[in-house]
Amino acid sequence: MNHTPDFGGIAERLAELGHLAHETADSLQRDQISTEQLKLLLEVSRETLRGAVVLDLLREADHRRQENETFLRIGTKLSSMLNLDELLRTIIESLRQVVDYGAAGIFLINRETNQIEADFLLGYEKSDRQQLQRKFKDGVPIGEGIVGWVIQHSQPVVVPDVLQDKRYISARDATRSEIAVPIIAGREIIGCLNLESNELGGFTEKDLEPLQTFASLVSVALERARFHRESIAKKRLEEELSIARRIQLSFLPTKMPQFEPYDLGGLNFPTLEVGGDYYDFIPITETDLGVAIGDVAGKGVGAAILMASFRASLRLESRSNYAISIILQKVNRFLCESNPPEQFVTAFYGVIDRRHHILTYSNAGHNPPFLLRNGQVIPLDTGGLLLGSFSDAEYEEARVDLYPGDIMVFYTDGVTEARNEQEEEFGVRRLLNLVQTYRDLGAMDMVRRISREVQHFECDAFTQDDLTISIVKVR
Amino acid sequence: MRLTTEKRGDILLIALKGKIMGGPESAQFHEQLKQAIARGERKVVLDLGGVEWMNSSGLGLLISGFTTLRNAGGEMKLARSTDKIQSLLVITKLNTVFEAHDTVEAAVKSF
Repeated sequence: MNHTPDFGGIAERLAELGHLAHETADSLQRDQISTEQLKLLLEVSRETLRGAVVLDLLREADHRRQENETFLRIGTKLSSMLNLDELLRTIIESLRQVVDYGAAGIFLINRETNQIEADFLLGYEKSDRQQLQRKFKDGVPIGEGIVGWVIQHSQPVVVPDVLQDKRYISARDATRSEIAVPIIAGREIIGCLNLESNELGGFTEKDLEPLQTFASLVSVALERARFHRESIAKKRLEEELSIARRIQLSFLPTKMPQFEPYDLGGLNFPTLEVGGDYYDFIPITETDLGVAIGDVAGKGVGAAILMASFRASLRLESRSNYAISIILQKVNRFLCESNPPEQFVTAFYGVIDRRHHILTYSNAGHNPPFLLRNGQVIPLDTGGLLLGSFSDAEYEEARVDLYPGDIMVFYTDGVTEARNEQEEEFGVRRLLNLVQTYRDLGAMDMVRRISREVQHFECDAFTQDDLTISIVKVR
Repeated sequence: MRLTTEKRGDILLIALKGKIMGGPESAQFHEQLKQAIARGERKVVLDLGGVEWMNSSGLGLLISGFTTLRNAGGEMKLARSTDKIQSLLVITKLNTVFEAHDTVEAAVKSF
């Protein structure tokens, strides 16, 4: 059942309206319309486009919410079947029908700290419980106390008079005798089931066998709970990755725009972990094309959402008539307002004007793309700080004349920092050589060939990062 | 990532070692800074001489440390950043906001 409004349809319609308003504003002569009216029209265009972007984000968020709800329903059902505390209580209470006791406790080894912790207690008075919890708050080392001895030696023990036993650490004033058996899972000792009696000689050797049976019941209950905890965690992680992956994919170009005489190509190879690489070609007007590449810090859903904000904000601002340096300043402020400073984006944004063959660009802390001309390498590194960390950052822009035969190469650090088994980095030099080698191929074929070589270089070495390359050739 | 701290007069010296990859590991770093700020300390030198490798999340850790201190009216300076980190700082243009020194002594003296 899906009663969600058609966000996609509305967003599309809004975007059309926005562009229409913008075109109208463009086509009207200044003497036919007052500055106020023109301003208003541009404002309408801007707000409508902003609405379209927000709706796009909402649609994705709604999709995620629906998925999460389904998952939550399954999760709740599972946990109601497997409430560990209830299960343990049932086991320990039924034990009383076989072996009578004053108090019972399940103590388990915390594998991270290698200390013993009290996991389940029954029959302890409030003050005893506090005393015990204080004692076990930071855990008790293996080997200490009767419980610790049982765990260390993996042997059951019957103590007819606790006050005569040197191992005994008092945790409950009324206790006079004690019995304890190890809890074993597979071949590993995971803890101890311990009973206390208010009478001297409350337990005998005969009680050991039924107690051990109950200890194995406890072990099964714990294992089952652990298994389900792990499978839920695993499922959750898989869900998260698949959402992040879909967000990321939906933002990458599926088809290169036609922009003669420029030849465009671009590819992204994501890692399993889902990084935050982004590249884009943004048609702005008939004659102007935006070229963007970016790398979001971090991985997973967080990175995907940051990338979504970056893309929405860049696409929105790129349609305004602002200078590129101002566009990046605005995107930077937007990211600073909506994300903590450690979440940043490095990005390059430029506009190619095909009437005059000029690239105007600004580089916000991204690996400098380069322009190759007759064997000469020109790094495109004018700009400013990475985006999203410092709200007062300012950006410079540069203009570059373009000539037939020029090749522009944009990439993320997944390319230059790819490592082989000898821990060597791929580096800029290798990338430049490959661009020279394949310079006569079409842009898309160049991208394919080069990324294949990077992947070949990485061979079986563990891939750390997304790999993204895009190329623009001037024909 | 391993972290050690040392006091040099009114300056807190934090040394990071190993692989700096941000994420959950950075909690320890932020805890140190938070405690230092609570004690009234405002001058921090971050010694990066023992860092083997740093990714973008690791860079995020430096940025958030820097801004945390700046927001508290203090300052964090870098010392002994490796060639690799130095080149990361140049590419991201963080070299325009971070003050970096070749030695710990130089960083300490600069306050």
